[in-house]
Amino acid sequence: MSAYRTGDPLDRRRFLTAAALRGATVVGSGVIGATALGALDADAAFAAPLRSLDPAVADATFVEGRITGIDGGLLAVAGSWGTYARVRVTAATSVWKVRATTADAIATGDGLYARGVPMPDGTLAADAVWVNIVHLHTTVRGIEKTRLHLAHGSHEIVGHVLADTTSVSYSGAAPTADLSRLRIGQDAQVLGAWRPSDDSVELVRVSVGPGAGHHR
Amino acid sequence: MPDRAAAVGHRRFGRVRVAGPHGPAHDGRMACGSTSLWNGEATWFCCGNAWGPCAAAGGGACGTCKSSKLQAAWPNASQACWDITRPDLCGEKLPRRGCGSVMKVRHQCSGASVCVTVSDCGPRTRSFCSESSCCDGTCRTNRVIDLTPAAFSAIGSLSTGTLPVVIFE
Repeated sequence: MSAYRTGDPLDRRRFLTAAALRGATVVGSGVIGATALGALDADAAFAAPLRSLDPAVADATFVEGRITGIDGGLLAVAGSWGTYARVRVTAATSVWKVRATTADAIATGDGLYARGVPMPDGTLAADAVWVNIVHLHTTVRGIEKTRLHLAHGSHEIVGHVLADTTSVSYSGAAPTADLSRLRIGQDAQVLGAWRPSDDSVELVRVSVGPGAGHHR
Repeated sequence: MPDRAAAVGHRRFGRVRVAGPHGPAHDGRMACGSTSLWNGEATWFCCGNAWGPCAAAGGGACGTCKSSKLQAAWPNASQACWDITRPDLCGEKLPRRGCGSVMKVRHQCSGASVCVTVSDCGPRTRSFCSESSCCDGTCRTNRVIDLTPAAFSAIGSLSTGTLPVVIFE
């Protein structure tokens, strides 16, 4: 278990900063090295109370955009509004891409959200990176065994069912792999991973509600 | 509070545009309040000129929404907004807060908080009545606020999708 999850005074940010300054990059090093130094699962990383930031860090810094290049543990990111950022992935970085994973899974062309600590060299030492993650309010338009057809605003999205991953939560109940109760026309919140190659979405969790009038 | 909603502009729930009592929303940081306003579930959404399916999300009901800013969508940003989100159908009679309103959103258990500016209309509370998020044995029910990725990630992980929160103004 890493320091920031145990209540140790060395909080997540200080740990992260130290990791970045040490150059503890984990790209290509795999799960074992990352696990030894920090949480891989963003959910677990955020489960513990976040302490106030280091006084030297006024705010968490957030980066959003497409990855245009990868150089070791450094991601070049072109922001959606013309900005440019460099995001450093360290041993303390939690990486999500469909599931908790390692930096090896990150590819050029992926979309990214990252939060972390600004470093003196202008990079962002990321404590969490979410790759291609989307959270969309959709309407179910079609249901097949291996995919859903979804409407997001005026756009059609194909959602791929992943046999070992996709779950559905019906009316707030525990997630299940059973998609049989989905219905055409239902509002569905989709947590998934965008697939840049064909603009589809890999479905992680689909949430459908009972609709209006079912309040307690 | 005057309702100056007009049916112009692109947004994720259709064509609704919202203006607040102090005019168009802005992205500047403002002081967060400490007066309890509401509690419930927070979700996250993307807006602005973002990548992937969010590319067409637009600037939201206030026209200023960006995923990278500390912003939020409120279900009662205007009457037109309310007519879409209908939190009252889930038992939530949320007060009107228009574009530019500032709120502090605090994770119920971790205590992490973020100051956000209302910049869109949402979430569509009525579609998920009774849905709840829990931590430490306490649950918050019904979707009452949507946060941008920048704001949501300041208090939790985007991969959870929802968080139990307490909202101040």
